[in-house]
Amino acid sequence: MTDVQLALTQARYGLLTAFRTPRTVVFGIAFPVVMLVLFDSIFTSGSDTVRFAGGTLTADAYFTAGIAAYSIGLSSFTTLAIGLTNQRETGQLKRLRGTPMPAWTFVAAQLLRSAALALLTTAALMAIGVIAFGVDVSAEHAIGLVVYLALGIAVFAALGIAVTVFTPTVDSASAVGPFAVVMLSFISGVFIPVDQLPHWLESVGKVFPLYHLADGLQTSLLTGGGSTGLSAANVTVLALWGLAGFMIATRRFRWEPQAARG
Amino acid sequence: MKQPLVVGGPLGVARLNGRGVRHPPLPVPSPAASPAAADVPEPAIVVRGLHKSYGATDVLRGIDFEVHTNEVFGFLGPNGAGKTTTIEILEGYRQRSAGDVVVLGADPGHPSRAWRRRIGLVLQECELDPLLTVRETLSLFSSFYASPRPVDETVALVGLAGERNARVRTLSGGQKRRLDVAVALVGDPELLFLDEPTTGFDPSARRSAWNMIEGLRSLGKTIFLTTHYMDEAQHLSDRVAILRGGRIVAIGSPAELAEGGGQTVISFRLPPGVGIDAVRANVGGQLDVSGAQVSLRAADAQRALYELTSWAERERVELSGLEARRPGLEDVFLELTGDGHD
Repeated sequence: MTDVQLALTQARYGLLTAFRTPRTVVFGIAFPVVMLVLFDSIFTSGSDTVRFAGGTLTADAYFTAGIAAYSIGLSSFTTLAIGLTNQRETGQLKRLRGTPMPAWTFVAAQLLRSAALALLTTAALMAIGVIAFGVDVSAEHAIGLVVYLALGIAVFAALGIAVTVFTPTVDSASAVGPFAVVMLSFISGVFIPVDQLPHWLESVGKVFPLYHLADGLQTSLLTGGGSTGLSAANVTVLALWGLAGFMIATRRFRWEPQAARG
Repeated sequence: MKQPLVVGGPLGVARLNGRGVRHPPLPVPSPAASPAAADVPEPAIVVRGLHKSYGATDVLRGIDFEVHTNEVFGFLGPNGAGKTTTIEILEGYRQRSAGDVVVLGADPGHPSRAWRRRIGLVLQECELDPLLTVRETLSLFSSFYASPRPVDETVALVGLAGERNARVRTLSGGQKRRLDVAVALVGDPELLFLDEPTTGFDPSARRSAWNMIEGLRSLGKTIFLTTHYMDEAQHLSDRVAILRGGRIVAIGSPAELAEGGGQTVISFRLPPGVGIDAVRANVGGQLDVSGAQVSLRAADAQRALYELTSWAERERVELSGLEARRPGLEDVFLELTGDGHD
């Protein structure tokens, strides 16, 4: 078995575990889908639009893209932060470290699993948006969507791995993981359109990566003009956060339990 | 190569002097070293002058031992003696402060992937993914190895064939520990580290674990075993080392250690109202009292028994549960690690 096959095998078992974990299925997949249906059914009528930096989008499309960003935050950042802290504190990582498994295949498997979950959820969200709410998702949007999806998954997974450095227990990871994504969603144009936010709050949101992932996906859904939706600001901020996460993860990641042991 | 042994300590057993011993140079694997070396297999583990300190605290104060190929080596000691530190240095988890360590011909301070393929670990307090089944767990771990053992065969070897499709979280404590052993075995390692493999087992589960470990030895594996159960160490180990306060205080086969002292243990219960001082005044030998239970170690068993029983007859004291036996490993262990040593 080559190392690439090994990473794929590990990712497959990771997905198996994920689908056997009610938390992942309910909060990572079902929750965003239900939210999208509620938001697009209750808070918008077909003619509502949202004005944001990139242009003007129907509210239905705006929420579809925003909640896709939210689901990437959950399936990459939150799921990884809680899952890895749990695996570390129960000694699972220490045991893996004592096998010939290369560290990179383990990390690659985590990324692949996060990507699979994120793509599954995003595909479901886009399908619901298109079928139930007439959101226009077509080939001209593909480049922007693919780039932001890939970037978002990588950035939030790197941050999810990095944050385990600061969560000594599963309890702390279970608090920080969801809290960060949900709080940021309020000021990143996910739950509330940015044109309804006070200016200063939007400025706070712009510091964090979720704002730029949501904005990027929303810009990608704009029709006409032949634009790919890629913006230097969004890509740069996302890349910087990803780099910071990557640096912390590679330098400070721990395989052994951090809670005091006898 | 002979260890620097100091024979004839208080118990008459082989004792290592941890301090002030000049360590011979390590037998670094070099095929051309001597023509005779080809006949003698390289030891699986060689440890010379191993020191480990955490800050100002010395945990290991210079320990030396070898583990031969295809040997079950028991590594014993009270809590805090440095057992876990030693085993984690040998396993490649901890860096040593000083000394030389060779495990399967390599320095475990720089564990390579090829080296990791040759060792199997049963660690303390390391769980497995509770959501995978027994078979899935072993399939996953077997994918890390170049030439793993067949999964179903490994499941059967540890007696979990009936549970192979059960999720890990539904297994009993003893079944989980057997799965730990299966995970350590699935890579078909030459050297196994078993760190307290039967802690929490009921007596029958312990017996079947012993059978399994004996089976591993007959497969040609080398086994480094730690345990708190002296009967287990005595039953399974070819040789044991006893660690206390970061030093090895005895090393040898369980029989050598137990009989080295030549002392017989005489035990009995004192009836209420009879003080131990009366015994001490009339009987020679070393007395240990634990509640009403008294144990007497004597080099001359016949004389000690005579003194004891004739005193009891004179004073009309009934010594219930009186027995005399050869000392076991547990007696040696308590003698070497009991109170008053640190």
